[in-house]
Amino acid sequence: MKELHNVNVAMRTLARELLESGTVAGVYGWKKGSRPTLTSPLYIQDAAKADRLAYDQYAVSNLSALLLDHRNNDKKRAIFVKGCDSRGVVRLLQDQQITPEQVLVIGLPCPGMVDEAGSLLTKCAECRFPNPVMADQVLGGVEVSKQPSAPTGVTAEAARKVGVGSRAGERMAQVAQLEGKTAAEKEAYWAEQHDKCIRCYACRNVCPACNCRDCIFDTEKKGWVSKAATSSANAFFAITRAMHVAGRCVDCGECERVCPMDIPIMTVNRKLQQDIEALFGPYDAGVDETVVPPLGRYQTDDPEEFL
Amino acid sequence: MKRIGVFVCHCGSNIAHTVDCKQVADEAAAMPGVVHAQEYKYMCSEPGQVLIQEAVKEHNLDGYVVTACSPRMHETTFRKCAGRCGLNPYMVEQVNIREHCSWVHADKEAGTEKAIDLMRMGVAKVLKNEPLKAATIPMTKRALVIGAGIAGIQAALDIADNGFPVTLLDREHSIGGRMAQIDKTFPTLDCSACILTPKMVEVAQHPNVELMTYAEVESVGGFIGSFDVTIRKKARYVDTKRCTGCGACIQKCPSKVPSEFEMEMGPRKSIYVPFPQAVPNKPVIDAPHCRYLQTGKCGICKKICPTDAIRFDDQDEVVTERFGTIVVATGYQQFDISAYEEYGGGRIPDVITGMHLERLLNASGPTSGKIKRPSDGKEPKNIVFIKCVGSRDEAKNRPYCSKTCCMYVAKQATLLKEKLPASKSYIFYMDVRTGGKNYEEFYRRTQVDYDGHYIRGRVSKIFQVGDRLIVRGDDSLLGRPVEIEADLVVLAAGMDPQHDARELARTLGIAYDAHGWYTEAHPKLKPVETQTGGIFLAGACQGPKDIPDSVAQGSAAAVKASALLTKTELTGEPMIAQCNEAMCSGCGLCVTICPYKAITRQPKQERIHGKMRERMVSTINSGLCQGCGACTVACPSSAMNMGGFSDEQIMAEVDALCQR
Repeated sequence: MKELHNVNVAMRTLARELLESGTVAGVYGWKKGSRPTLTSPLYIQDAAKADRLAYDQYAVSNLSALLLDHRNNDKKRAIFVKGCDSRGVVRLLQDQQITPEQVLVIGLPCPGMVDEAGSLLTKCAECRFPNPVMADQVLGGVEVSKQPSAPTGVTAEAARKVGVGSRAGERMAQVAQLEGKTAAEKEAYWAEQHDKCIRCYACRNVCPACNCRDCIFDTEKKGWVSKAATSSANAFFAITRAMHVAGRCVDCGECERVCPMDIPIMTVNRKLQQDIEALFGPYDAGVDETVVPPLGRYQTDDPEEFL
Repeated sequence: MKRIGVFVCHCGSNIAHTVDCKQVADEAAAMPGVVHAQEYKYMCSEPGQVLIQEAVKEHNLDGYVVTACSPRMHETTFRKCAGRCGLNPYMVEQVNIREHCSWVHADKEAGTEKAIDLMRMGVAKVLKNEPLKAATIPMTKRALVIGAGIAGIQAALDIADNGFPVTLLDREHSIGGRMAQIDKTFPTLDCSACILTPKMVEVAQHPNVELMTYAEVESVGGFIGSFDVTIRKKARYVDTKRCTGCGACIQKCPSKVPSEFEMEMGPRKSIYVPFPQAVPNKPVIDAPHCRYLQTGKCGICKKICPTDAIRFDDQDEVVTERFGTIVVATGYQQFDISAYEEYGGGRIPDVITGMHLERLLNASGPTSGKIKRPSDGKEPKNIVFIKCVGSRDEAKNRPYCSKTCCMYVAKQATLLKEKLPASKSYIFYMDVRTGGKNYEEFYRRTQVDYDGHYIRGRVSKIFQVGDRLIVRGDDSLLGRPVEIEADLVVLAAGMDPQHDARELARTLGIAYDAHGWYTEAHPKLKPVETQTGGIFLAGACQGPKDIPDSVAQGSAAAVKASALLTKTELTGEPMIAQCNEAMCSGCGLCVTICPYKAITRQPKQERIHGKMRERMVSTINSGLCQGCGACTVACPSSAMNMGGFSDEQIMAEVDALCQR
């Protein structure tokens, strides 16, 4: 992507400098994969490898959850972020899994991510935060913004053309459609979806909000949850996962993207977002780490409709 | 597997009428883990408990389930029963098949089925029970009483008499509260000051009492046994150690301000004591009205003071002190009558409140006890009282009865007749409520001997014609409108919670109702306790109360507080949150969600990847945790668990219910 040529050069130069000077112990970015349409995560600790860094419209992976590998390490790591990645970093900072001293955040302009066929991903069309919500420094002229905003930086025009954020207003459409169904229809719909689940836990592994030290789905507690991929155990897993990230989901859409069985995971996450906003007012998780998530705070005027 | 016993209580016919208890016991006996099941008429009775204890020994039980009434009734009974036969008291589950089952169902077959389900859940839970042990909390042997009205004074005196140090705090600079403003007290008509001031002096001179007036509570930390209370002692501008209370400064002060104590019907100075019998009887300077403090010109008080006690550079002082227990006795404030536009409250000078009339009746009041109406100082002839102003009025969001107005109106009508024999009192009422010893008799005397003219009905409007007031209302007994020409109208204003009652409640962590009255732990059985351990209520802060009730509550709260103070350490509640530090990721969601500020993140040393590292984990303060469970729900890692209500126990109950 020609707009990103200079950004790529700058990324490599910066990574090399950071590693050579010892400012950081490692750098998270992306590299070109085995196919032209594949740009996958890369972690380098050696300045000589900085030239492998690459960033384009296929660099869809959210890198933030990878920082969890270093949560008990005092050394600093640099991470390149798009808008959605930066919200993941805020998630980890707010959940106190990493400290600001442990991470150097470098913001990038997002051109909008596309699939192999070249069409814009749904999550990018519905994106409200294409610019980094926080960054220690930026490349490619991108602007840091904690408000929903239009794409900025060198790829702003390209992003606008492919339609980044063009369907942000319809992001609850799938939820609304399901809400229109009867309870029996909804049950049947979700049973069909959950039956597909193979319990690979890719959704959990990629999620920056899934940052427990020991995931309950890995624990040995008998009777808590079955590891078998049966209908009821899958439903239990799906609902528990959704409840665990409720009010904390940063809306990056990675869980749904990585799901090999195409389960509409974001529909559940969005439904919870919608309900939480209805109860506690507007809230975007992973934008401002000083605002406590609605389900994690106690206020005397919290709604208590059940009392 | 654990050996479990099940005991099915009939509760006479309360349960047995709708539940086939034998069938419940038979079903229980067939459950895995249950080695003994039996039924009995009253499990809570002495023979019932003996029966349980014998079964525990005979069958070597590890725990048991009692299916009976609500655990609110007898959980303690059955836990203690277990303790007496060597079981951990928390190896017991009480299943409610009365309130939750027999009392709410009529069909015996369905009721039995439900009781069996509930019993099965209890058995499934008790199989997962772990013995719990309560931690001990140290007790600071010192009490704080907030509010030095009659309730607070009584509470402080009783605690002090029990031999414990007590600090009596008030935000005003004299103790005495509302009672000090009142002229005479019903139903005996003894002078309020004559019975209050000896108590004020007694409490001030008591060796165990520390008076802390002109001070306010800023924040409260800690928990039962060790509350850390931050108190702001307001600047008095007078050195109380030097001041002898001679009053020379008050005489010479040139600046006059309407006196709050006199309901703004008379003046006070900017350096003042609120009333002659004030305790401590040493003046303070009202800074916003002091000429010297505002303009730098004056300073007469400083010049005249024979002991050089004036300190214009005085500052607020903030101290933090530790108390083991707190009695809240912050009282009430009078309802603001300006909410009744139709009565001209606050607009028409001769429409006054009950407290205004108290001051007019009082010999040391602004009129030296002469009844003079505020507008022109004339003696009133026709006086109209209107009751339930700011009480029993849904439209004004005051649905409650203020309880004291019926009696204080009767008292005031009596006193007016004594002072002005030619006068006539008309009293508009909704109902006359005179519950209380000798109250009804007093009310009868007001009607019969003192010519009180009671009219049942509401007043719709009051307006001025010349120098008289026209009171237009309705006599609902005769079913016709009435109009009275009055010289003075007294609105029997009800009681409101203090304007900042909610704020203080939040500072203390105690509950309040929709109006702002503090909520007792149980409306009948725990009337002076709050839901927060170690904090007690006395007087009108809990709801409208007269003097006898306030005094009784002050003493009651003192007994509760003293009972705590006799202990050197307290046993904590074992059913509180527990953190599995291995699971805890230190995210801190539990810290922000905890209503009691009981959770903090603490560093934990741990070997990670071959190196000693420090990571943060949540730690629960067993004194502060009330076992509400908010943290256990918020914790994404399931690291937080509730003792006695663990995830595993609740899951087992759900499983038991689903597997039938």
